[in-house]
Amino acid sequence: MPLLELNEVTIKFGGLIAVDSVDLTIEKGEIQALIGPNGAGKSTVFNLVTGIYPPTSGTISFKGQAINGKKPYNITRLGIARTFQNIRLFNELTVLDNVKIGRHCRSKAGAFGGIIQPPSVKREEKEIEQKALECLRLMDLDDKAEELAKNLPYGEQRRLEIARAMASEPEILLLDEPAAGMNPQEKTVLVEKIKKIREMGLTIFLVEHDMKFVMGISDRVAVLDYGKKIADGPPDAVQKNPEVIAAYLGKEVV
Amino acid sequence: MAFLDGLLPAYYESIIITVGIYIILALGLNLITGVTGQLSLGHAAYMCIGAYTSAIVSMKLGLPFIVALLCAGIVAAIFGIFIGFPVLRLTGDYLAICTLGFGEILKSILFNMPYVGGAMGMAGIPPKTTLLNTIIIALIVIIVMVRMERSRFGRSLVAIREDEIAAECMGINAFRYKLQMFAIGTFTAGLGGALWAHKIMVLQPRDFGFMKSIEILNMVVLGGLGSIPGTILGATLLTAIPEILRFSSEYRMVIYGALLVIMMIFRPHGLMGNTDFNKLAKRTFRVFNTNNNKDKKSGMEG
Repeated sequence: MPLLELNEVTIKFGGLIAVDSVDLTIEKGEIQALIGPNGAGKSTVFNLVTGIYPPTSGTISFKGQAINGKKPYNITRLGIARTFQNIRLFNELTVLDNVKIGRHCRSKAGAFGGIIQPPSVKREEKEIEQKALECLRLMDLDDKAEELAKNLPYGEQRRLEIARAMASEPEILLLDEPAAGMNPQEKTVLVEKIKKIREMGLTIFLVEHDMKFVMGISDRVAVLDYGKKIADGPPDAVQKNPEVIAAYLGKEVV
Repeated sequence: MAFLDGLLPAYYESIIITVGIYIILALGLNLITGVTGQLSLGHAAYMCIGAYTSAIVSMKLGLPFIVALLCAGIVAAIFGIFIGFPVLRLTGDYLAICTLGFGEILKSILFNMPYVGGAMGMAGIPPKTTLLNTIIIALIVIIVMVRMERSRFGRSLVAIREDEIAAECMGINAFRYKLQMFAIGTFTAGLGGALWAHKIMVLQPRDFGFMKSIEILNMVVLGGLGSIPGTILGATLLTAIPEILRFSSEYRMVIYGALLVIMMIFRPHGLMGNTDFNKLAKRTFRVFNTNNNKDKKSGMEG
């Protein structure tokens, strides 16, 4: 059984079909990339999987259970975590607090627990802090724990988003253009981190524009063009696919 | 209960009680607007509900003050949930206009309700608000707010303010949290209203108009949105300054307005905005610690 399966998923915004009956299966432990020209619907696929939009038709299932139509906060609890293309950190909070919020779906103290603070809540809070620090260490950000998120340099903000997503103990991690805007050194660090996360047994689903990055790291690559999937397979096969070349470079005029 | 009575001249006592009531009211609004970022222009409406509820409970039902207080908070919170349910799905300007509308509707209803005296209002409410019970309630509210802010719940509220979509993707049911937060914020507004009613002893619907909501909002913004010490300072200053400026009689409100404008130009984030005492202390301590460690390390190397 695949970990994540999209079956004829379609979403329409008014008259625009942003994603057009896309089938996609992601097996446990692999790194699946999703590429395509600008506006092909890649981020929309992520928004569908994480429940920000419900699909117009089709089913999305995670570990055999249908998740389409579920709210984002319920989907996160099931084990799907994500980062965003245009970084969405909690700017006025510290790096540590950002990651602590990522831990939200694995803890349960409510408003009254917070006011009364019985031992169980204090214990939970300690556990949240430990896990958050672990995730920060994983991303080499533990020395910045007390900084405000908005004061981090760009590359570190991207890594913080991954740390925050990791805090929810996901089984699959969705990375939306993790390398966008990074310099070569930052990208090298990122590749290292992604490989480390994969070694921890996580499945990774990523959208990316940087071809070198995608081809170097992915097990499988799917290509989206105008909302339709035009290719899916190992990186080298996809690279040679004439339809993919046409989508990126345009067709030859005969 | 009476040992604080007569300790201060009645004038100062009255001002301190007013400050206490405004601290309670402003902290409730700070939770809604400052911490969670939901702009409410109708805080006085919940204060009004609390004031009228407590007046009814102690005058018409003849029950003790503590019961009146609790009823005021609970009824205000029920209205908060009732109004919040449709309204909290909106954000920003839309939410502000809706909360404003509710305040005006409430005022009109009270104007036309003979049971609570209509436009004449309710008079003869027993003077139960003392310096002591105001201070106790204000302290309880402060402690509750501080503890909540540092908990998982408070963190989630700030996350909602900072980025609602990201917060939902972290597993936070934003709507539920906003509703809970709104209930707590309106509960404190109800408490403040009850204390107010039993202090001034006369209630009229026009006392709880838009201007009252703005007055409370001013305190929160002046102090620094989202900052508890800031809100306390803002409530204190904005209650005290008009009193201090009494000597200038007719220029009083002009100076008051000018002070507000100057403040916002020089400290746009509010008096205490961007100052987090908790983290300030932590950071100072940490710097001190690392310096010590460095000393030790260099000592060992040497």
